[in-house]
Amino acid sequence: MSPAGRTAMDVIDAHGHIGRWSAFAVPDGSAESLVAMMDRCGVATACVSHLLAVGPDARAGNALLLEALEAHPGRLLGWAVYQPHDPQAPERLRDLLDVPGVIGVKLHPEVHETALDDRAYTPAFEAAAGRRRLVLAHSQHGSPWSDARHFAAVSPRHPGVPLLMGHAGLFPEGLRPAMEAADRCPDLVLETCGSRMTARHLVRMVAGIGAGRVAFGSDAVFLDLRTGLGRVLLAGLPEADREQVLHGTMDTLLKGIV
Amino acid sequence: MTTVVDVNRTLGPLPHDDVPSRDEAGLVAELERLRIDTACVVHSHAVHGDPRDGNDPLAHVGDPRLRPVPVLVPGPLGTGPWAGGAPLVRLCPRRHGWSLSGPHAHRLLAELAAHGTAVLLAWDEVTSGEVHRLAAAGPAPRVVLTGTGYRALRELAELLETHPSLYVDTSTLCGHRQVEWVAGRYGAHRVLFGTGAPVTDDAGPRYLLDTLDLPAADAALIAGGNALRLLDGAP
Repeated sequence: MSPAGRTAMDVIDAHGHIGRWSAFAVPDGSAESLVAMMDRCGVATACVSHLLAVGPDARAGNALLLEALEAHPGRLLGWAVYQPHDPQAPERLRDLLDVPGVIGVKLHPEVHETALDDRAYTPAFEAAAGRRRLVLAHSQHGSPWSDARHFAAVSPRHPGVPLLMGHAGLFPEGLRPAMEAADRCPDLVLETCGSRMTARHLVRMVAGIGAGRVAFGSDAVFLDLRTGLGRVLLAGLPEADREQVLHGTMDTLLKGIV
Repeated sequence: MTTVVDVNRTLGPLPHDDVPSRDEAGLVAELERLRIDTACVVHSHAVHGDPRDGNDPLAHVGDPRLRPVPVLVPGPLGTGPWAGGAPLVRLCPRRHGWSLSGPHAHRLLAELAAHGTAVLLAWDEVTSGEVHRLAAAGPAPRVVLTGTGYRALRELAELLETHPSLYVDTSTLCGHRQVEWVAGRYGAHRVLFGTGAPVTDDAGPRYLLDTLDLPAADAALIAGGNALRLLDGAP
């Protein structure tokens, strides 16, 4: 199999998951299933959080994440979920960020019903800053918790901390506000996953803010890795931009972390 | 060489975006770029304008790679009795404001079944209960459920398990290995390649088609074999 003519296995998936989810069926949410799909598509590395941690139990889910990282060294990197309602979250996060393979913190303002610019997340950003790690947050256009305006508000408070805007607004109508926020905030990076995203919108994103500010993400195993990857592989992008999105942006962000 | 048929595509401009398929040349160029041999196309005038005259532009489609799919509406304010003429049609009951369970719809569905005409029906146009009733009624046409999304797998599985006249397209069947799961459980003959483009993405489903973890014969059915069978009116 040749993913649109590529031979290198160097793709980095910035936004993935293992586990299962409440609202719908994931027939196989195992790390083994994800790694097998990565092998099938030429994806070298996936940066994942555990869906149990995103959902009801960050403590248990983050523990499962560490087991998966240990089982698949080099193939899976970890986002530790920060649960803003857990009084022990700050110290737990600091410990998690010291574990090899954990590259940063995952915030999900939608699930936790806490706006991204709420001060409840300050310890998470500070822990990321102190250990030179990344932050990935779910975004959703029009949401009271994770609209582009929340990213534009919080990012300048933590200069130097790379903040990935998961889904780049999620809906097509959210793309322009996401790009405007990225234009204003130098530490914002737009990540590409979502079932509403199209190759056409991806091309606009890259043309608007530059491939260096865009990172490929799939949302596997929530979504199928192939639909997100195919969107980048088959988009009408210049080859240099395609490579930048597929791995260049994350290569730069992960330098010094792994 | 496997024939690739996109069973779910729109020709014409969209009200909410600028799309290359606003005209026939743009759509054909997109198909060529993505190595799609044939596309079953509704016209955007029929979906987003008035379906009573919105199908007219389909009569001017010249490229043989584009297979016209009229959008039908039942009743006295609809598109008229169905006398055949296209193997595949689309119904948009919610968007066009009519009831799938009413007597007008019942008459139209019986006409479609009598002519062997298959139906595209988008998941956001109906409830799963309506689909159950449609498929259980007799006579019922074959229905391809489009845009089912990754969240509907449990409901979709129940429908496919209960009604052999139901099929599904791949446009947003985008949960992890969902296409393989559906094909493995209900048979590859129930799954048709469709993108929903340009409203939904074409590149992702196209790449998924190239990387299916299925026997080659099953992948060929999904890519185009099943669609060609429907378009030929074969059972």
